[in-house]
Amino acid sequence: MEEQAPRKIMFVNRRAPHGSIYAYEGLEVILIFGAYDQEISAVFLDDAVFSLKKGQDTSELGVKEFSATFRALEAYGVENRYVEKESMEQRGLTLDDLIMDVEVVDGATLRKAMGEQDVLLPF
Amino acid sequence: MKFGILVQEGPYNHEASDSAYHFIQAALAKGHEITGVFFYNDGVTNTTKLMDIPADDRHISKRWSELGAKGVELIVCVAAAKRRGISPDVLIDNARIDGLGQLSELCIESDRLITFGD
Amino acid sequence: MSALEVGGKSIELDEDGFLADIADWNEDIAVALAKTENVDMTDAHWEVVNFLREYYAEYKIAPMIRILTKAIGKKFGKEKGNTKYLYELYPAGPAKQACKIAGLPKPTGCV
Repeated sequence: MEEQAPRKIMFVNRRAPHGSIYAYEGLEVILIFGAYDQEISAVFLDDAVFSLKKGQDTSELGVKEFSATFRALEAYGVENRYVEKESMEQRGLTLDDLIMDVEVVDGATLRKAMGEQDVLLPF
Repeated sequence: MKFGILVQEGPYNHEASDSAYHFIQAALAKGHEITGVFFYNDGVTNTTKLMDIPADDRHISKRWSELGAKGVELIVCVAAAKRRGISPDVLIDNARIDGLGQLSELCIESDRLITFGD
Repeated sequence: MSALEVGGKSIELDEDGFLADIADWNEDIAVALAKTENVDMTDAHWEVVNFLREYYAEYKIAPMIRILTKAIGKKFGKEKGNTKYLYELYPAGPAKQACKIAGLPKPTGCV
């Protein structure tokens, strides 16, 4: 492959961790992409902010609880990890409720960041 | 322009698959290049040859296979396919099962990656 | 589907010889699983297996090989933090063999 600058790729996580498979299969993609030396961002907005909430218990749902895996993102090369400020506020969440350090950005800043990406992958 | 295509939804249940197909037809007609179509999430179920469709409706998996025969790369995610019972035995001709790394390659090689999802 | 006899008990395996139920795992079973892979468990082998189990307990995934080598190097010394070292211990591939012995879920093979 010819040399080119790393691509800016942003994963836009929009959905709650359970209720559909998008959050989980989206996470599987993010982990793989980390290996390709691109500039990877993961943003959590709308109900996806719940993916990062502490104290999840899926035992009664009978599905795998995978919130811990998000804490591996940094080691996997996902340099930028954001939550949307408005989504957090609407759901009464603060950074203390989350399982990992993320940067809180407002919607306007996020829109600008999205505009600067080469690829957006929504889940 | 070089377009990569991501299909996230299953056939018939959702319009995403049809939209992706029509987008590709239009893009090819205009002389653009399709670097590949990656089927993920329920999108992998577009690629089973077990579909049996009444004659007065489109046959979605057959349509994909025909597109593949014209040289458009059709890639089905192995992990998503395993979950949904899409094995090499039931896979349409002209498609292949491969890893998520292929989606990464599409993102890198294409000028634009277009996602057809919900 | 097959089974593994360990200490008079029959442990269910999947078609690739991974534990059908990851909760079944214990050290005796690990040794028996290693035998199915023709691996003799030394302290060095245990280091990797125990590391994988700790990693899985913390992150709920098996680490990808490049993450594993980096983390092993950090924890046990630079000379161990490379694929050559891990392949010497687990010739059929650390992702497959070491994960199997550690009782982790079968990798989906998605790279």
